[in-house]
Amino acid sequence: MIAWILFHLFVFPGMLFTGVLGLLVGWLDRKVSAWFQFRVGPPILQNFNDFFKLLGKETIIVKNAVKPVFIVAPLAGFAVLTLIATIIGLALFYNEGFAGDMFVVMYLTMTFSVMVILGGSSTGNVYSSIGAGREMKLLLADELAFILVFLVPIVKSGYHIQFDQILQYQQLNGAVIGSPSGIIAFIVGILCIQAKMTLPPFHIPEAETEIVEGPFMEYSGPLLAFWKLDHYMMYVIFPFLLVILFMGGFNLTGIGILWAVLKYLAIVVVMIIIKNTNPRIRIDTALNFFWKYASPLAFIGVILAVLGV
Amino acid sequence: MQINDLTLLVSVPIVVAIVNLFLPVILRKILNFLALIYLLVLNIQILQAGMGTVVLFGQTIMQVDALSAFISLFIQILSFIILIFALKGVDKSIEKAFLVLYPLTVGFCNGVVFSTNSISLLIFWGLTGITLYLFALLGNTSDTPNSAKKTMIIVGGSDVFLILGLILVWFMNPIGSWQLFGEAIPLKGLMAYIAFFGLLIAAFAKAGSFPLHSWVPDFSKDSPVESAAFLPASLDKLLGIYLLARIVLSIFKLTTVMHLVIITLGALTVIIAVMMAMIQHNGRKLLGYHAVSQVGYMIMGVGSGSVIALIGGLFHLLNNTIYKSNLFLALGSVEKKTGTNNLEQMGGLGTKMPLTFLFALIGALAISGIPPFNGFFSKWMIYQGMLELAKNASPGYKIWLLICLVLAVFGSALTLASFMKFIHAIFLGRRPENLDNIEEAPANQWISTGILAVLCIVFGLWAMQLPIKQFILPVVNEYGLAIPDMLGYYNPILILLLFGSVLLLGLIIYWSIRKVRYDEIYLGGMEALEHFRVMGTEFYKEIRNMSPLKAIYNGAEKKYFDVYDVSSKCSFSITRFFKAIHNGQLQLYNLWIVLGVLILLWVVL
Repeated sequence: MIAWILFHLFVFPGMLFTGVLGLLVGWLDRKVSAWFQFRVGPPILQNFNDFFKLLGKETIIVKNAVKPVFIVAPLAGFAVLTLIATIIGLALFYNEGFAGDMFVVMYLTMTFSVMVILGGSSTGNVYSSIGAGREMKLLLADELAFILVFLVPIVKSGYHIQFDQILQYQQLNGAVIGSPSGIIAFIVGILCIQAKMTLPPFHIPEAETEIVEGPFMEYSGPLLAFWKLDHYMMYVIFPFLLVILFMGGFNLTGIGILWAVLKYLAIVVVMIIIKNTNPRIRIDTALNFFWKYASPLAFIGVILAVLGV
Repeated sequence: MQINDLTLLVSVPIVVAIVNLFLPVILRKILNFLALIYLLVLNIQILQAGMGTVVLFGQTIMQVDALSAFISLFIQILSFIILIFALKGVDKSIEKAFLVLYPLTVGFCNGVVFSTNSISLLIFWGLTGITLYLFALLGNTSDTPNSAKKTMIIVGGSDVFLILGLILVWFMNPIGSWQLFGEAIPLKGLMAYIAFFGLLIAAFAKAGSFPLHSWVPDFSKDSPVESAAFLPASLDKLLGIYLLARIVLSIFKLTTVMHLVIITLGALTVIIAVMMAMIQHNGRKLLGYHAVSQVGYMIMGVGSGSVIALIGGLFHLLNNTIYKSNLFLALGSVEKKTGTNNLEQMGGLGTKMPLTFLFALIGALAISGIPPFNGFFSKWMIYQGMLELAKNASPGYKIWLLICLVLAVFGSALTLASFMKFIHAIFLGRRPENLDNIEEAPANQWISTGILAVLCIVFGLWAMQLPIKQFILPVVNEYGLAIPDMLGYYNPILILLLFGSVLLLGLIIYWSIRKVRYDEIYLGGMEALEHFRVMGTEFYKEIRNMSPLKAIYNGAEKKYFDVYDVSSKCSFSITRFFKAIHNGQLQLYNLWIVLGVLILLWVVL
């Protein structure tokens, strides 16, 4: 039993699987982005090279930083994402409810942002602190819509909050995305995960050209490698989450495998397209967008779901 | 009246307080400490025995049941832990008075919790209000008199409603005695509603819920920090929510609409208070607003009518007393070292006060509902209760309940936001140069916050096995409520173990390959000057300035939404009118007399 749990956690669908798939999808992101800009793009294993090279580099730590927080934050972020990946992956691949339900995952995703904020602000660097503040505001912006997005499958499935029950409901009654409320929630959901992953146009906390990677500015060496890996792991976690909540999960037999890959890639490609066609917006614009447009839209989705549409 | 454990629980602290009046400070501390240990032992005995009564003049005054036993247990636990903090470091000028008021408050609170008789409940309730006022007067800021007055008027004024409610309950009581908690009265007719709302106002004012919350932030800002952790953060919460639980469980049988009204008030409390907390620049005021906002969850849980949510609400009450007093005390430690509670003047203390930082961080994560700490567990149960209610409601109620649920969940994201600001402003970010020589707080202070932090973790990991099973399920059983199945699934220990093993792996990897160099902050080659310091207080300026929130915030800062200010303005304008017509001129008085006679004639004829 323990060996089995550890296998899930460290190999599949947890750390190793999510990490490797994340780095590969990260390559896809870089390649497609390159095509958008008429460049060639990196070779397929570039992200792996980057990661291992960073592991071998020197770690520079600010003298006055709160060192334990500075060091633990990226590793804790990595642990949180691995945990989410395991919970979501077990639901998706094994149809198994494990360790936590939707509220737990919702709060764990917030925990990752907490790690970014704590890590960033532990250094005392002005850019990091500004970035940390923006990370928090961005979380507030997308969280309201994100909660409403979560509610749609909950309401649709008859108030179940466990992933396996939501999948079960969809296997019997068709995917949530097949209904008007599901479509609305799915669209808002894509925007939310774009913000949760701080991808353009919501890369406000990092804003390379403005505040120099924000919270990650003082990071280098292995710790930076973990932050980068964390970022790529989210390319797996959040699309999988949407697949569970709205697309009825994966059916990994015969032609189902092709469908599974297509479902996943469809979400990733939409995200990459949004990423490459939008400039960065200001944080107040993001707040306004999510609170005044996206959340009411998602709320309409919830009302429709309550009415059974 | 015979002497038993129950009478001792009330009388011992009162006697200690009286004896303390004549002792030197050091003996007062020792006596308080010993008395609280004794009370703790007594209370555990009472909890285990589960019975005990006090009879006076042939009337049952006090009685033990599951709810009162566990609430009073937490009164003793919290009082004991906060007393450890107060052993060293209380302002010398107020220390003597503080050590007299402290056991007095404990005794009165015990009296409230065990009273089953309207009159004794009322007396003890009023006395706790008076000690609250006296604690408020111990502050040493320029606003202290105003805050104390405000506290007295809101909390004391709500006692009027309590009296009204209790008298009406006596009228409606089928047995016609002053015994409360007999048979629940159905909520039918005007009298029942007036009585219900009277009692509700008293509970809300004590717990500090919207719209009677405004004394909590002011009290927190201006009174001594120990008393802020002691009363509004823990004991008053316990009393207020205790009364609310009695109202909804024993005194009245609520209708669905009334449950919904209470849930809505709870959700509004959560969101309004947390929005105010976010923009505060004063650390104590920030925590004070959170003390209000957390009440919202408890009210939602206890008043909802769902058993899962009831368990969650009572559990949240315990959790809140633990982490909120932890945070107040941690801020108190910092304040005593730096001499300020203004968040703008602090920063980077995490390296100087590592233990205080660690415990405050645990408290902050717990209050924000980060798994696996205790705050998440109780919130998670309350959310499930809301969903369970929504499941069986009609579509209109469904949407209403879901809105309340969304507000509550979003409220906890906002809580996280304001605590990230709090932690950043005090412990992280850049340290101002004048704080370079700060040292860790004295041992008694970090032991006190440390115990509370450990409780946060223990109650989070073994929530089902320890607090819920030991304290809350007996209450549910006593009221004959069926314990329902959970909707969700959450295993905190597993989550912590998995998280910990991955974190450990990461640390091992980092440790084995690290090559560390220490350097200054990098600012693109510029010198890192003091004015490049980001204060966490500015984090949410965009939200403050967003329309339409800006107008609301401006209104709130002018106190347009403060019941106390609005009603005092109303009463002042009425007195101004009377002042204007009493100007001392004989002709005018004659005119009034003539007018009065005319009106009298018109009425009589």
